[in-house]
Amino acid sequence: MVGVPSAQELSGLYDRTRAELDSPRPNHNAVKTQLSQLKVGLVKIALHNAQVELDPKFQLTKRSILEMGAEFSIKTGDIPAFERYIAQLEIFYYESKHGLAESNVMYPLIGLNLLRLLSENLIADFHTTLERIDLAQLQSNPYIVHPVKLEQALMEGSYKKVWQARAEVPTPEYLFFMDILMATIRNEVASCVEKSYSNLPFDDAKSVLFFTSMDELLRFAQERRWAVSPSEKRITFPSTTENTRMFQGETIMKQTLTYARELERIV
Amino acid sequence: MSSTENAAMEVEATAEQKQAESHLARNVKFLERGIAAAEVHYTHRALRTIFSLRKRLQSDVLAEMIATHASKSNSQSVADCLQHAAESLGQKHVVGPATKVCEPEVCLFLCLLVQLYHLDHNEHERGAKLSDVLVGAALGLQRRTLDPIVSRVIFYYSRFFEVAGRLADARPMLLKALQTATLMNMKETKAMVLTLLLRNFLNYKLYDQAERLAAKSSFPTDAPNNLLARYLYYMGRIEAVQLNYSQAQMHLLEATRKAPSTPATAGFQQTVHKIYVIVELLMGNIPERSLFRTPVLKKPLQPYFELAQAVRVGDLSQFQDVVSRYQDQFLKDQVLILIQRLRHNVIKAGIRSISVAYSRISLRDICLKLHLDSEEDAEYIVAKAIRDGVIDATIDHEKGFVKSAEVHNVYGTSDPQHAFDKRITFCLGLYNESVKSMRYPGGDHRKELAYADEAIKRERELAQEIENEEYDSDSDAMDDAMDEDL
Repeated sequence: MVGVPSAQELSGLYDRTRAELDSPRPNHNAVKTQLSQLKVGLVKIALHNAQVELDPKFQLTKRSILEMGAEFSIKTGDIPAFERYIAQLEIFYYESKHGLAESNVMYPLIGLNLLRLLSENLIADFHTTLERIDLAQLQSNPYIVHPVKLEQALMEGSYKKVWQARAEVPTPEYLFFMDILMATIRNEVASCVEKSYSNLPFDDAKSVLFFTSMDELLRFAQERRWAVSPSEKRITFPSTTENTRMFQGETIMKQTLTYARELERIV
Repeated sequence: MSSTENAAMEVEATAEQKQAESHLARNVKFLERGIAAAEVHYTHRALRTIFSLRKRLQSDVLAEMIATHASKSNSQSVADCLQHAAESLGQKHVVGPATKVCEPEVCLFLCLLVQLYHLDHNEHERGAKLSDVLVGAALGLQRRTLDPIVSRVIFYYSRFFEVAGRLADARPMLLKALQTATLMNMKETKAMVLTLLLRNFLNYKLYDQAERLAAKSSFPTDAPNNLLARYLYYMGRIEAVQLNYSQAQMHLLEATRKAPSTPATAGFQQTVHKIYVIVELLMGNIPERSLFRTPVLKKPLQPYFELAQAVRVGDLSQFQDVVSRYQDQFLKDQVLILIQRLRHNVIKAGIRSISVAYSRISLRDICLKLHLDSEEDAEYIVAKAIRDGVIDATIDHEKGFVKSAEVHNVYGTSDPQHAFDKRITFCLGLYNESVKSMRYPGGDHRKELAYADEAIKRERELAQEIENEEYDSDSDAMDDAMDEDL
């Protein structure tokens, strides 16, 4: 095999990348190339020597590389890459753990993954991931408790709590997903507001929708086709009157035909 | 005196032994007849007697039976199985002088009895080793008539591993078994293996893997009801975790219906009903009180009953109280995480009852009644509830109150029609299924068929004769005609 790196070379490269990342102004491109080199190195070693999978030192290096990759992808805002790293890390976190000591970025990363699932509205995956986490951690670990509380607040509809949770994030990386989440729930709040209010004054609408400036509000209102009246400073929402008495001809026809067919089958 | 007692006991023991031996011999005969006639129901009959045999199994009786069936003309895998079985019983295995070939079915049946013996006597290691060998041999033999026996062998294989706590190790063999069963079209084994795999995954909380397995494989539709009930229960649990509540409710309800309601299945009914109650609550329906009153379910479902009450009333503090009180129980039933999701159901129920009771209520009062944190919270929650269709109301922001819309006549909408439609389709489906599963009495059917066959043959002969006669008479007529001419 061409250029199979030894374990020392790999850990040396890892240390250099780590130093680069931890420095005050990391050079993202350099880190990116180094990361891909690390990943290729991992694969080459594994291909070359199948027994290395059982070596705890190698597993430790592998896990540290993957965790660093996950952190880096958050910093650069690369969500698909983050998803990939987390998928690979799952083997380390949930199953045999390969006899390694618990990594101290494990729970922050799991919490970040939960938050990502929430922000993309993948509630089913959120819950399946939740099931795999230890119950004790669910109630005590601040990194995990934060997304869990968020999800509850979202289900109830107390969006104010979600807005306030921005201030209480355990680590700054959470803020990245919180912003995406705010955009999602803004749409939710908008649709709730449309149905429940007949009209709202501007200031109230601004606070309800968590906007900081009037322009954002007006732009948003235009996107959703609300009737804006600058004179009264009110937004009027189109009323959706459901015509419940509408004759649903097609449904009735289909149902009746099914009944007739089944009845004919009765001997 | 004691010697006569001992002698009497010995006589009894040997009498029992003889009885057990004769039972075993009869079952073996059943199996052989089944193989000869290629009929499955003989095998089923033999398997049904296992239940009563189980209590009377003794290691020396089994060893003797094995010895009588171990002959030189057995195939290699059969001989291996018999040898392992005898060794696991701690008896010496001698290849006897008998020349009769031992069919694989008989061999597996005997080894199945040995497995049961080990399970009942808590010898898990030996049982696990024996099961390993058996499953490997059974899959290698690949005979379709082995289907019911193999499915039971695999069940006990998985059970040994589960009891020993090494369930993950059973997975590779189970997956291989699934492959073989699908290829050989062994329906019962396939159903059993699928159920066991789902149980395996759920044990380790690997819900997405279980879901993928269920999605990619097709459960045989004519599997026996016991397996079907278990499979539906596991499907229901997976779907409940993945927020697919309507499917979960359907499956769990079917599971309760398919399982026989004998005292032996009480445990299963209780477990299924627990999850069913939670799914109903999550869907927003309160399960009926009569459900909690059935004698089998009354005590185990007591915590769930109180939970349902708290959700119905809509009181968040009561709900928290119940959850903390019965936390250990919920943890044991593995439903604690599902119950956390019930929190917002409690609030929904609370809002609904408020909006029905009041035509106009201030946001502050709602906040107080539901024990929420602030008025703004209450406003958001009510707005979401309106959007979700829980209540029908409008919020007046400036004056700070919620005004309920007037209740309109339900019969004026198309709701009754939809409800009727659902019920009608269900009844029609039930009718179709019962027609499909009608059975005709076996023997008479065959006699009738034979009679019908003969009748048809006779008719055909008659028809032939008539044809021939006509032809002859035609030719006669022609001859006569020719004669006449002449």
